[in-house]
Amino acid sequence: MAGKDYNHLFKLLIIGDSNVGKSSLLLRFADNSFSGSYITTIGVDFKIRTVDMEGERVKLQIWDTAGQERFRTITSTYYRNTHGVIIVYDVTNPDSFVNVKRWLNEISENCDSVCKILVGNKNDDPTKKKVDSQDAMRFGETVGVRVFETSAKENINVEEMFMAFTRMVLRAKKQSQDRAEREREREKDTVNINAHRDRDRRKRGKKCC
Amino acid sequence: MNNSLGCTCLLCCVRSVGPSPELVRQREAKWINIIGQWNRILLRKSSTVKLQCQKGIPASLRAKCWPLLCGATGRMRQNTILYETLDSQPGMQSWVDIIERDLDRQFPFHEMFLSKDGHGQRGLFRVLKAYTQFQPEEGYCQAQGPVAAVLLMNMPAEEAFWCLVQISEQFLPGYYSPLLVILFDAAILTWVLKKTCPAAHKHLQQHGVEPLMFATDWLMCLFTRHLPFNTLLRVWDLFFCYGVRVLLQVAVVLVRRVLGRTEQRKQCQGQMETLERLRGVKEQVQDEDDAFIAEVNLTNTTKTLKTKI
Repeated sequence: MAGKDYNHLFKLLIIGDSNVGKSSLLLRFADNSFSGSYITTIGVDFKIRTVDMEGERVKLQIWDTAGQERFRTITSTYYRNTHGVIIVYDVTNPDSFVNVKRWLNEISENCDSVCKILVGNKNDDPTKKKVDSQDAMRFGETVGVRVFETSAKENINVEEMFMAFTRMVLRAKKQSQDRAEREREREKDTVNINAHRDRDRRKRGKKCC
Repeated sequence: MNNSLGCTCLLCCVRSVGPSPELVRQREAKWINIIGQWNRILLRKSSTVKLQCQKGIPASLRAKCWPLLCGATGRMRQNTILYETLDSQPGMQSWVDIIERDLDRQFPFHEMFLSKDGHGQRGLFRVLKAYTQFQPEEGYCQAQGPVAAVLLMNMPAEEAFWCLVQISEQFLPGYYSPLLVILFDAAILTWVLKKTCPAAHKHLQQHGVEPLMFATDWLMCLFTRHLPFNTLLRVWDLFFCYGVRVLLQVAVVLVRRVLGRTEQRKQCQGQMETLERLRGVKEQVQDEDDAFIAEVNLTNTTKTLKTKI
């Protein structure tokens, strides 16, 4: 491949019930546009955007999935190598919020550890809002997931949400790198001692135990 | 185009491509002859029919020929008032809600489906709702939406309903519920690609691109979103004649069009790059693409599959 134009590459996955605005959120973030005319997502779609974060170039591969329940039989393919999952519900549709629990279960079935964020979309008309912000925040706290409310249509909070999530994913990566680094340091010490001892033993021609 | 049959598809009427008017008339005459003898000779898919399907069914006769070819006409005759009955009854509310949310998300730029209360969206609602009443256990799968929409562009609602039933039950059983067959067919596609275009197959493997990532939509929606319209209709002419194998053949040809040449593969190094090319496959196919149809006919996946067994 030609020279890399980024420092980090993350795969993000957008899940949630049908018609909560997953594709709209992605289109708003990747192309900064909104269209009243979409087609249903069958299988999977994706977009790419590269952002600057903490002085580094972060390339985001964002996968947008079909929301209908029966498509879950094929979605495990899309979870592979995912760094972060965005769970979307529609603030005007309480059922889509109730189903968030099922989506969280689906994540734990498919990933060991992955960053998560909960997004209440279509948050642009208070008269239509049916999922209370406080309820959503409380739920988010109990499951340990940060909550954002957005509107892809009115371009409210979309950029902020994606950027905050990217930062979370980046920090998680750096933390795990630090952990791995410390592990390596410890192992290096261990290996050194053993290597030294083994060499001595070999020199003396003695077998171990 | 016979508007009394309910087709308002402008694309069919104003054709800048495709066969000459004389040729269309010749083919129409042949098909009228076939339709006239359909019940009497019962040689439904004789070599003449197959050959004519390969050449393409004239637009004016698809409303008649597709239901005949897929067996919808027969079922409609056996159940004369069923569609009407289902249509007159309210559907299950949970399905109605889901279907309604999808009505303006099929062909948002097609004039037939532009308006919420227009002929297209209303017809689509009726056909999909009737299907959930006909198969209450199965219900509605979102991938059936675009399929029903293309049917409605070509025929009245009752015929479209029975064609959808035949597609879902006979042609693609298990595709729309519980969806496991698509896993199987995606695996078959991998295998056929390995046999018929090993270089493209190797490229896909190298970059971690699985058929489920690009072909789910192709197969489940019968290419409605990935082929130029007149070529799509030609593919459906073949599909109603030969069945599911046509879908695999088309998928193979599409992959070949995108990744068949070395320089094409070199241009998309990486999973995303490859998927992006595959997503834009429509640009690799012309409208009313005879060469494409010929290539589909030549790609005999059945033979390849038989060697496997």
